[in-house]
Amino acid sequence: MTAAVTGGPPLADPTVPGRAGVSVRAVARWPESEGDGRPPGIPGFVPSPFGPLAAAAAERCLRRHRDPDGTPARTAIVVVSVHGDLATSEAVAAAVDAGSRVQPMLFFQSVPNSIAGHIAARSRLTGPISCISPVGAPVEDGLAAAALLFADLDADEALVLVVEQGHPGGAADHALAILVGPPVANGHDPASPAPTTQEVPRHG
Amino acid sequence: MNQAPGIASADQVVISGFDVTCGAGRDPQALLEAVLAGRPAFTPVTRFDVSGRRARAAATLPGSPVLFTEIADVIEAACADAQLTGPQRADCPLMLAVRVDYQLARMSAAERADWSGAGLARALAQRCGLSGALRTYTGACVAGSTAVADAACMVAAGRLPRVVVAAGYLVDPDHFALFDAGRALSDDGALRPFSAGRRGILFGDAIVAVVLESGTAARRRGVPAAARLAGWGRAGDAYHVCRPDPTGDGIARAIGSALRRAGIGPDELGYVNANGTGTAHADAAESNGLSRALGACSARIPVSSTKSVHGHALEASGLLELVVTVLALGCARLPVNAGFLGPDDECRLDLVLDAPRPAASPYMLSVNAAFGGANTALVIGAP
Repeated sequence: MTAAVTGGPPLADPTVPGRAGVSVRAVARWPESEGDGRPPGIPGFVPSPFGPLAAAAAERCLRRHRDPDGTPARTAIVVVSVHGDLATSEAVAAAVDAGSRVQPMLFFQSVPNSIAGHIAARSRLTGPISCISPVGAPVEDGLAAAALLFADLDADEALVLVVEQGHPGGAADHALAILVGPPVANGHDPASPAPTTQEVPRHG
Repeated sequence: MNQAPGIASADQVVISGFDVTCGAGRDPQALLEAVLAGRPAFTPVTRFDVSGRRARAAATLPGSPVLFTEIADVIEAACADAQLTGPQRADCPLMLAVRVDYQLARMSAAERADWSGAGLARALAQRCGLSGALRTYTGACVAGSTAVADAACMVAAGRLPRVVVAAGYLVDPDHFALFDAGRALSDDGALRPFSAGRRGILFGDAIVAVVLESGTAARRRGVPAAARLAGWGRAGDAYHVCRPDPTGDGIARAIGSALRRAGIGPDELGYVNANGTGTAHADAAESNGLSRALGACSARIPVSSTKSVHGHALEASGLLELVVTVLALGCARLPVNAGFLGPDDECRLDLVLDAPRPAASPYMLSVNAAFGGANTALVIGAP
């Protein structure tokens, strides 16, 4: 069975490239089809879609992978975003420029760590949280950050979330979630090109 | 000695050069004097209008500093401190911790396309003669310390002989308004870590750079190290969007990871530079985390949060406090936890109050925590 990727806006990096140091366990996006529409809302995360997009892709990705032996893993979260939560930044800037009061709710979602904290609490992911603005290809940078955590033994697996909004070309806001673990001796060779989203096995 | 985990046991990581400028001091010596004296640098904000805010103070640099120029200057000074030659710089990448430019929200789509944290890092690397930008961290209050941990991992593994890690934050009107709206800022002009009556954080400007290098490479160059980065650890709370786990379990796991990597036990620690933001819940949670990680030793290991002097520098705070800890190690004196009004039963720590204490051990710990339950711990030791 494969993860169905039937549509949705193009990602800047439409495949999951191969990279030494990780093995791909599951991949998901939001949206994956026209039927996805807006991601489910999260209490407190308004008015920006940044957090809901990340959470929806993350939840879908985690659902596609079930640890076969049920061993609790220290799952890290790596949030990759060029500009962070632009809609929240715009709302704050508009209030400041107008001399009006900033909505207190915006404080809680003002950094990319916030949605990572929401996902971690909801799915009990106790690994490190890291947020980066990609220097190279976003997916590559995210996987490289995850590989470092594995090499350092600070995480057993990592959920890499690539979230972008407000593209100059008008592409819709979107999120990509990739659950990765350390390199495995059997199965996919992490040194070789990793599967595209169409090829990633779905578990559970 | 414990077995240091991971690939980090391959080579020692040292700090062969650093520089800092912040609201509490334009250079390392001035900063050291301020934290040893416990002299807060908070003054009324004049950089932008705060008349509509509950809080009014921050520890800012004079004039109108420009982030790019300030970071470039500090990187230059750190490279000079590490005695890096031109060819060595040209082989050395930059890892940068910064907040997304608050003016990005006011830019057109076309202007935004040209801006990114990575773009800033690339421009800084080019300006300073470094090989390029390796990674840009935007993870709030653990961005700088996470960059240090990741850089140390790469150096220890032998992937790179050295890395420049830089961070910068300049107090800006948007985040001031945002934190003020969230009632996170202190409205009494002081940041009082672990104190009864603490009322929240105050911001501070900080621009910091360190050169992390393999001990082997530094010895070959004949350059003395300021300190050894003996251990580092990262862990998450899995608790809440922004509130820390009150048990401090995530902080404790980050500290445990750093101590194991350093190969030392809590009894060998001589000082903790705490995250200590001066907020009610966070300081209590951190106290629990320190107790959990350090056990009985937590009652007798001196602790201070120098945010009480230089303020909270957000993405730059982890690197700023690492440098403060290195300075304390260098002079064997422990900084003061300023702003203290009285003990709080939820923060049972051996705080350094009133005057600096002599350091009794060459191992020191710097702890940082951020929104989302992100925690980091860095252990430094004598070179």
